[in-house]
Amino acid sequence: MRRLRLARPELLLPLTAFGLTLVVFLLTPTWADVELSSFDVYNTLQILARLGPLALALGLTMIAGEFDLSVVGTYALGGMLTVQLGQDDWRVGLLAAVGTGAAIGLVQGALIAGLRLPSMPVTLATYIALLGLTSALSDGLTKTYSNIDVTLWVDQPVLTVFSPRSLITLGLFALAALLLAGSRWGRELRAIGGDRRASRVAGVRVGRLLVATFAASGALSGLGGALLSFSLGSANPDPGVQPLILAAAAALLGGVSLAGGRGAPLGLLAGILAVALLAEVATVAALPSYVTQLFYAALLGVIVVVDAPDLHAGVTRLRTHLRPPPVPPAEETP
Amino acid sequence: MTALAAPAREAAAARRTRAELATDGVVVVVVVAVLLAGLSTDRFVSVANAKAILTSASLVGVCALGLTLIMIGGSAVSLAISQTVAAVGMVFLSAQSLGLVPALLLAVVVGALVTGVQGAVVGHAGANPVVLTIAASFAIAGVATGVTDGVSVSPSGTGYDHLNATPAGLPLSVYVLVALTLGVEWTLRRTGFGRSLYLVGENRRAARAAGLAVGRTTTLAWLGAGALFAVTAAFTAAFNTSANVNLGGTLTFDAIAAVLAGGTPITGGRGSAVRTFLGAVLIAAVSDILLLRGYSTGVQVLVKGLIVLGVVVLVHLRTRSRQA
Repeated sequence: MRRLRLARPELLLPLTAFGLTLVVFLLTPTWADVELSSFDVYNTLQILARLGPLALALGLTMIAGEFDLSVVGTYALGGMLTVQLGQDDWRVGLLAAVGTGAAIGLVQGALIAGLRLPSMPVTLATYIALLGLTSALSDGLTKTYSNIDVTLWVDQPVLTVFSPRSLITLGLFALAALLLAGSRWGRELRAIGGDRRASRVAGVRVGRLLVATFAASGALSGLGGALLSFSLGSANPDPGVQPLILAAAAALLGGVSLAGGRGAPLGLLAGILAVALLAEVATVAALPSYVTQLFYAALLGVIVVVDAPDLHAGVTRLRTHLRPPPVPPAEETP
Repeated sequence: MTALAAPAREAAAARRTRAELATDGVVVVVVVAVLLAGLSTDRFVSVANAKAILTSASLVGVCALGLTLIMIGGSAVSLAISQTVAAVGMVFLSAQSLGLVPALLLAVVVGALVTGVQGAVVGHAGANPVVLTIAASFAIAGVATGVTDGVSVSPSGTGYDHLNATPAGLPLSVYVLVALTLGVEWTLRRTGFGRSLYLVGENRRAARAAGLAVGRTTTLAWLGAGALFAVTAAFTAAFNTSANVNLGGTLTFDAIAAVLAGGTPITGGRGSAVRTFLGAVLIAAVSDILLLRGYSTGVQVLVKGLIVLGVVVLVHLRTRSRQA
């Protein structure tokens, strides 16, 4: 059993991010002319519900040392399938979204693991293809979901601040945390993210694990899209890159490294809560959307640069470059 | 020892040629299939349609040339192309009162700077280019929206109309694409920068160990890419006679599709401007066939994505067989 150390980035970063944003959130009334209510907590959890599955999907593949760009494509397709196939029975739509997502993940995982392809170009191509497919399925139009009962049910308040949707998302995180902390799967996932070759030599079945991770990522993204469509009562063929930005920011704030091998679901949860709190602050303070956009861009930019592998080497080089030539030691005078 | 090594090497050579023959065969089949689909499509074989294909290939192509520099240098892709083109297009149109040439220069400088800054961070710090450019796309769109209040920018002069000229019946942008393709190809093959770019893309760590200025080479590649994005931006803005945040449209994906369809591996170290040119024409021809056959934009994007996926797998298999 490893000792808990706060200095470990996968703990330090999410805790700091969550703590800071919580302070900002609580102090909002002092600088913006608003009052906070339990509804704001409910809303924050709704934002969490919207981004959670996507951030978890992206986070899991990032821990494994891959980057699944296709999550937003699967998210869009899942939402569209939910609306178009689930008009009569929501279960059919949900099953179609999750099943298709898992199937897409399986195919991608098999390609990436079987042919040892880099994940970025594969998932980028899939992303483009899935956006096209979603748009083709809906003729490029937003489709409405007429099953009002489901829409009302997923967003009804539970215990004042929760909703079935946010509870499902929190459940997913709990499940992922249990699986990753308590099973060999979690250790192996971090191992293949940290050093693929060493873990292969050590007997980790890398291929199978990668396929499973991508399948899980696809299923989670599909589920995320389905839940969003239930909530909005519609599906948009092109969600844009905003969900990807927020999910990536949440994963990175959650202590997952782009280099792989680092991160845990509970850290991810703290990261995503931080992003959700910030989004809620922006809403409450009625910031113009472009300001929020700039803010997230800056946040993501800063994390990427801090996470950059060559930064420290570069800074050291620059410092040695700029450092004045060493002064010869003064001669000692007795 | 040599007696043992020789047959192994021969076997490897045989395997290599077999794998390469197979991938070449696939390429030939695809090109023939596209040609057959084209020939069997109404209105495909006509001068007007050839012009249409070349025109749409020219705007994407110039952008894709820029992305080729980024990809050869091993910094994967920029996902901020559409937003850069939109913002630079706004700058270009609002600077028309200065005259065409100063406006064009200003656009190129802005494009190069905006993209070059990202390149500097990727090159010097080793930041992840995908996530960084996603952030950049958000930032650029945010600034552009903030500055313009979300309203379309109208031209402050009429000089831009010269870019819509059609000498000898072909749009100016087609000539520009051909000239830039040759220019970029020459830079890649004949200059020290070009050679070091391939080395940096092939193996960043080895290039650094060998004393190459990895950061500077990467930054230069991104500066060049930004300048090329700006050229596309000027032509696109001139064609639309107004510019807003959505001016870039699907350029990011179209440019990626063109470069990858040309067979440049996303991992860097290989590729050429001429290949990208051919990739852009191939993608434009496929889109054109789908359009003529009445398929929706969605289907066109779907097919583009599938082409990219296919080429990525093919290029990877071929590269691996060469290394084996």
